[in-house]
Amino acid sequence: MHLLDKVYKKSDSIVFRKIADEFILVPIRQNVGDLESISTLNEVAARIWELIDGNMKVSEIKDKIIEEFEVTPQQAEKDLIEYLQQLEGIEAIIEG
Amino acid sequence: MECSHIPSISYAQFSERLHKQVVAKRIPILGSFELTFRCNLRCAHCYCNLPLNSRDAISKELKTGEIFNIFDQIAEAGCLWLLLTGGEPLARKDFMEIYTYAKKKGFLISLFTNGTLITPKIADHLAESPPSEVEITLYGVTKETHEKVTGIPGSFKRCRKGIDLLLERKIPLRLKTMAMTLNRNELSNIKEYAEGLGVKFRFDPELNPRLDHSKTPCNFRLSPEEVVKLDLADEKRVKEWREFCEKFLGPPESDNLYLCGAGVSLFHIDPYGQLSVCMMSRYQNYDLKHGSFHKGWSNFFPQFIAQKPKSDYKCGQCEFIALCSQCPGWAWVENGDLETPVEYLCQITHLRAEAFNIKKL
Repeated sequence: MHLLDKVYKKSDSIVFRKIADEFILVPIRQNVGDLESISTLNEVAARIWELIDGNMKVSEIKDKIIEEFEVTPQQAEKDLIEYLQQLEGIEAIIEG
Repeated sequence: MECSHIPSISYAQFSERLHKQVVAKRIPILGSFELTFRCNLRCAHCYCNLPLNSRDAISKELKTGEIFNIFDQIAEAGCLWLLLTGGEPLARKDFMEIYTYAKKKGFLISLFTNGTLITPKIADHLAESPPSEVEITLYGVTKETHEKVTGIPGSFKRCRKGIDLLLERKIPLRLKTMAMTLNRNELSNIKEYAEGLGVKFRFDPELNPRLDHSKTPCNFRLSPEEVVKLDLADEKRVKEWREFCEKFLGPPESDNLYLCGAGVSLFHIDPYGQLSVCMMSRYQNYDLKHGSFHKGWSNFFPQFIAQKPKSDYKCGQCEFIALCSQCPGWAWVENGDLETPVEYLCQITHLRAEAFNIKKL
């Protein structure tokens, strides 16, 4: 299945926090990310995180991002795929 | 569109960046929470411990659900770093439930404990969902010295066992000691022991009276001269003091009584739900059993931290104030009012300034 057709949901092993102007991901379990570092998200990444709800397809998330931010479809797709792969890598999201 | 990858920055960088923002916006990012005043040890110098099975204390303590509710509120308000302490936090039967809930809220948790109640089961749970740091207080490297402080036979062995259980599971650990007359002969040994284990270590020689103003802990204070001698014996500590002074020395820029982050970025909650601006200042609290954290933080604290001295406040003009632990909270527990200098701290500070030749910096 192409990544754009996939649906992701957030794993319960990471918590999203917005504090001051910072968007951060705090791992709960040891095997998630490195506790010595904090994952910080920019505004677009934070919006994507918000849109990952277990229902929306990646292609739909891409459409939303194109609608809400000034970005070409090609760039949005490239960044989105890269970002989702990173999130999967730290077990912040899972397919489903 | 900015690139949407996840920049992972160093903890120190992140912490510094965030701290700057939270002070400007007054976000309660640093919290400490005493889960109980009860403790299984009877440390001679402790400022708050109550007997382990005190029915009175148990009846007044926040219930599990009330603590969860407060965690929800402080997370919403922006708390990120949360210290769970006591008393002995593990003395609560629901400790693991509380800890797990706090983790799920996304706090970066430090846990202060005497180590004696850590079981393999608790250590396994902490390993699975680790805190940022566990800090265990060790009072000596011999049973005699450690238990002279704790007053409980067997506590040395159990503390060491607790340390081992955490180390075996690679849980981030720091050892601490309070430096006092009862363990002055083993301070360097404790440090060596910690270094031998490869864990961080710190010591604190400044004992404060009990919260009920009892001066018993002060009987175990090292003399100011001894305190400064300990500083001078530790090269790293001297370096840190000097760097600190270069940055912060001089009379305070504000004429407020409170000159620190209390009520600006930090807060404290006691086992009974009393919210205060910090761990020391408990003479006027906000009751979280009858009001929200938001109201306490937004309506009660601003007036509190804007207090001006009512008398000729000697410490308000002191160029060494940044070097000194003097604060209205300490003055209150020591002297019963907010402005009288704590003589012991004043002596230590002036001796430090002299010893480090700080006037010439």
